[in-house]
Amino acid sequence: MSSLSMALRLTPYLARSSGSSLRETGLRDAGLPVLAFGTVTALLLTVAGGSQVFWSWSDDIAGTYQALAVVAMVLLIIPLLTLGASAARLAARRRDDRLASLRLLGANSATVVWMTVIESTVLAAVGAVAGAGLYACMAPFLGLIQFRGQAIGSHAWLSVPSILGCILAVCVLAAASAALGLRKVVVTPLGVRTRQTADGAHWVRGLIAAVVVVIGVVAMGMLSSFGAFIVIIAVMGGCFGLALLALNLMGPWILRLRASSQLKRAKRPEQLLAARTVLESPKESWRQVGGVAMTSFVGVFVGVGMAVADTMGPGATDETALLVRDINTGVMITLLGSFLMVACSAGVNQAAAVLDRASTLVALDRVGMPLKLMVAARVKAVMSPLFLVAGISAAAAAVLVLPLTGTVLLTQPVVFLTIGGVFAAGFLLVRLAVAAGTAQIGQVLARPERYASMDS
Amino acid sequence: MNAILHAQQLTKHYPGSIALDHVDFTANAGESIAIIGPSGSGKTTLLHCLAGILRPDAGAITLNTPSAPLRLDTLGDAALSRLRREEFGFVFQQGMLLPELTAVENVALALMLNGTDRGTSESRAAEWLGALGLAGMEQRRLGELSGGQVQRVAIARAQVTGARVVFADEPTGALDSATSNEVLDVLLRSVAANSRTLLVVTHDPNVAARCQRVVELRDGRIVSDSGSSSPASGQADRLAQAAPAAPTSFKGAFNV
Repeated sequence: MSSLSMALRLTPYLARSSGSSLRETGLRDAGLPVLAFGTVTALLLTVAGGSQVFWSWSDDIAGTYQALAVVAMVLLIIPLLTLGASAARLAARRRDDRLASLRLLGANSATVVWMTVIESTVLAAVGAVAGAGLYACMAPFLGLIQFRGQAIGSHAWLSVPSILGCILAVCVLAAASAALGLRKVVVTPLGVRTRQTADGAHWVRGLIAAVVVVIGVVAMGMLSSFGAFIVIIAVMGGCFGLALLALNLMGPWILRLRASSQLKRAKRPEQLLAARTVLESPKESWRQVGGVAMTSFVGVFVGVGMAVADTMGPGATDETALLVRDINTGVMITLLGSFLMVACSAGVNQAAAVLDRASTLVALDRVGMPLKLMVAARVKAVMSPLFLVAGISAAAAAVLVLPLTGTVLLTQPVVFLTIGGVFAAGFLLVRLAVAAGTAQIGQVLARPERYASMDS
Repeated sequence: MNAILHAQQLTKHYPGSIALDHVDFTANAGESIAIIGPSGSGKTTLLHCLAGILRPDAGAITLNTPSAPLRLDTLGDAALSRLRREEFGFVFQQGMLLPELTAVENVALALMLNGTDRGTSESRAAEWLGALGLAGMEQRRLGELSGGQVQRVAIARAQVTGARVVFADEPTGALDSATSNEVLDVLLRSVAANSRTLLVVTHDPNVAARCQRVVELRDGRIVSDSGSSSPASGQADRLAQAAPAAPTSFKGAFNV
């Protein structure tokens, strides 16, 4: 019997046999992945619904709107993939006893991988349907958003096949990212553990990133000499791409530098634990918060740029003024969406990490480590890199458009207030999600016998 | 001898079974006590109740502290947590240390949790590691240490705070026999040299034979207690006498 067919037979069987305990543990553990996939779907449908109206236009400027919609979707895809992989790891973790038992009974590694992929996909499907429901509730409000001076209205409603297509896409994405995410999880007959790999973040990354930034700054400085409008746009686009590349290269390295410095200065136990958690895997920390880097950068870069364009005044056509305003709207929605993804990802990651370390947490509780300290260390391990990443990205964007930043600050302070508000809301969202993830520590400590061997 | 930990009529039920059935037990200061018995006999439950990890359904547990006797069974969760931090030390089968921390940080963490500053904590932790044969390995991560070395780190963590009672649950259960003997030597010598009380749950007759006293449980009851006059008792005393003088400035360190 192939691994897949065995997995297809075993998965529903095990799901059925867990019936009585499902209410007790399964639903709670499954809640976070379902919530995560639900949010992803609602967000995807909202963006798709919101931008649907762009595709009904056929005039000259329609292409710009369509391209921007695609860019927004692409910006959301990276955190979406990270979230999918995290959810899959959590799915494997929450069923670790069963998966390990199956390995002990002779099921091969491929079978348990398939089972987890199937389960993760089912959770994604449940979440996606719930997300579609959420989208349906939001669509009337979505219709109030204005593009080109007109409310989207009924265009906010996607067709049923489009919604089904989106649900299917989320399921496929969940299955794919589950399979990828499981490369980090080892299911052995003796239990499930996360593969520990040496995770360096070399200074060479910083050097390459610095070179990339210099190229970008030089190109931006020569912008006016390029002449043709289309070339200027292309160079600006190229600089934006270079900046994103630099951020991705530098991210883990910067997080490692910062955590090393925090480790040296750490005085309290939670500071020591948080710094060591980041140092354990700077790339993993970056994956969790990296999505915000991209959008923070875009938020400030485009926000300021568009605000300046908005002040161009008499020279600008009505259509251009509307485009500027619409891009601002789109950027803020994308920024908030990206924070939502990062929040879900952080919550799910924390829940998975807590289950990963459950037996150690039980042992730490036994040696007298207070629960609030365990929680504080985990919160700090996420929020500190998040503040750093968002701050650096926003600052990098502000520096890149430095001459414009000052002008906007003076002429349109409301732009900065809006950007600041979106950041504050984003931080709050992530903090709430981390709180939901770390709440799992209390649940682990309430049932220590599930995680630590106890001889009666 | 002075009783340090005293349990009276301890009873603990699990669904469908009784883990402890009116158990009376006293641990004296400085004793090493092995708690043995078949699986399901209640030995780990007894250890967990005495350590304030589990609450008994009935009965009383008293810890004699220098200030006043403390009734563990009446304390709240926060007070029990603090008690475990300050008065007790623990060595588990798998070490149960934090893999992201270095050896010295794992040991120092126990002191930092009690409010000691980091510098002092790490220097005392390093002295303990040195005394337990891990000099030069302070900055290693747990993944870079062998199973026996990890258990030595756990033994250092259990005692660095000056814990008066050390609880060990199958401390050599995951080790081969040669390493197991080494770790047991370190554990017994360190607790004896510092006049600490050791309660060790074990399946291993060799571990039991090297403790001063052996208590056997069966079906939640103590069926035998060798008392302090056990034939095995002399061995731990000899081990303590064989421990070289403390090489460091703080009370409690010793050489292996």
